[in-house]
Amino acid sequence: MSTAAILTEKLTKTYAVGFVKRRQVPALRGLDLRVEPGQIYGLLGPNGAGKSTTIKILLDLVTPSSGRAELFGRSPSLKEARREVGFLPENPAPYEYLTGREFVRLAGQLSGLEGSALDSRVSEVIAQVGMEYAANLGIRRYSKGMIQRISLAQALVTRPRLLVLDEPTSGLDVLGRQLVRDIVREEQKRGTTVLLCSHIIPDVESLCDRVAVLIGGKLVREGSVSALLADRQTMMEATVESVELPRLEALRPKMASMDEAGGRVVLRFEEQHAREVLQAVLAVDGRLTGLQRTRFSLEELFLGALKESGRSVGSDIS
Amino acid sequence: MSGLGALVLNGFRESRRNRVTLVIFLFAFVMIFSATFALELTVATFDRVMTDLGLGVMALISSFLAIFLATGLIPREIERRTIFMVVSKPISRSMFVVGRFLGNMLTLYAVLAMMAVLFFIQLEFGHASITRPHVAAIIGLAFELLVISAFSFLFASMSSQFVASVVSVGLYFLGHLSTDLYQLAERSTNQAMGLFGKAFYYLLPNLDRLDYRPRATYGELTAWSEVGMSAAHAIGYSVVMLVVACLLFERRDFK
Repeated sequence: MSTAAILTEKLTKTYAVGFVKRRQVPALRGLDLRVEPGQIYGLLGPNGAGKSTTIKILLDLVTPSSGRAELFGRSPSLKEARREVGFLPENPAPYEYLTGREFVRLAGQLSGLEGSALDSRVSEVIAQVGMEYAANLGIRRYSKGMIQRISLAQALVTRPRLLVLDEPTSGLDVLGRQLVRDIVREEQKRGTTVLLCSHIIPDVESLCDRVAVLIGGKLVREGSVSALLADRQTMMEATVESVELPRLEALRPKMASMDEAGGRVVLRFEEQHAREVLQAVLAVDGRLTGLQRTRFSLEELFLGALKESGRSVGSDIS
Repeated sequence: MSGLGALVLNGFRESRRNRVTLVIFLFAFVMIFSATFALELTVATFDRVMTDLGLGVMALISSFLAIFLATGLIPREIERRTIFMVVSKPISRSMFVVGRFLGNMLTLYAVLAMMAVLFFIQLEFGHASITRPHVAAIIGLAFELLVISAFSFLFASMSSQFVASVVSVGLYFLGHLSTDLYQLAERSTNQAMGLFGKAFYYLLPNLDRLDYRPRATYGELTAWSEVGMSAAHAIGYSVVMLVVACLLFERRDFK
């Protein structure tokens, strides 16, 4: 078996919090992960699920309480291991007093690049993230999207073998998101492994080969996206008009989701419940304006896992 | 350029762009204002008054600048989370601390050099001569800033900026009183007090040892060997502080 790009075994982390640090808050509880080289691997989970803690352990920003973490077979505490990694943190905060170019240059210098190789690589990554027009502008004058792009450039500057991206599309407009997705795909073609942590599930679904769903510091689902989404009940989506949502409440236990917007009620349910749903809609004089099969999405997988765990989004520790 | 060099220059650039150099203008303003005042009040002791005032203001401004900068750098990086993108790079955390420290010292020494030049120009304008005690006093102050920055960095590496600032200001004053503390311990009839006082004396930085400003005021010569010994003490103390800061920083979690 080849050396994994990322390996964690029984990884745990408990934070001591409070004034005298007596309260113990578990952030990770025995996490096992294996990311093969060249994969785009998604980490999903609600707030406080342990995604950021996992990333921080992998970058030696946090020491695990127990267990093992490795990057290409080496401990993240080794500089040589981190040399292979490009990291874009969530809500990145680059040095505001620097220009974009100076910041990317500093990142390159800290990673051991120098001379003309550094200069050309800095220009190259700045162009790659579409920031040539503002590269010599002070970062304090950047918008959130520009900060995100220049921070992505600093992650790419060393041509890393592993890219760790925490919420890379956060704060970006549609074009920016597309650019990030293109860069991630380009990097994968180059052989780079990507660990992608995002709340934007469609991004994860469209980019990742495999995903892991973390809830409460534990791994609750793991596998290739196609395998996780296969063998699921086909979902149906019905659009109903001329009826208010409360009149359909009796259906809720069988629904994957029930939403009301713009005078329409959208019901999502498994195909096996189709007859009951249609009968219920007709019984309350609802006007069925649409009925179609939909694919089971990663979002539904995520929400299903969350429901099973008895937690709601944002209800966990922070 | 090496990673350490990049960190040092980055620290210097940060201070420059965050208008730390404004303190030099403050110093110049105080000096020009006080010179006019001194000329009005003094007859034959202009050089003494100007030396006392100039070196005193220089020490006060630079010492508080040292505490303010040294206690702010690391906590601010942690609070703003800029640190994530730096310590995740293939550098050791100790290199980060040392790089930030040296960058800070470069800033302080640049500021001190400019203030010294202004001070010497002031003396020249007042037809007072620049003497060896003046130079010794400024060298002593330079090493004092090294010690102040080192202990401020140590506190900043393990606590918030506010706590680090308060403790550092306290230590600055205690550092200037450590000799008195020792003498008090010697005279104390209470054995516990004596031991306590002496222990404090050896733990605290002896900043009085680096203070040649009163001697400069009265034109007293300081032997270069004494300056050298005090400098060695300052460097030794600073290295110990910095090593402890690095050790603490290596173990710290960045949540």
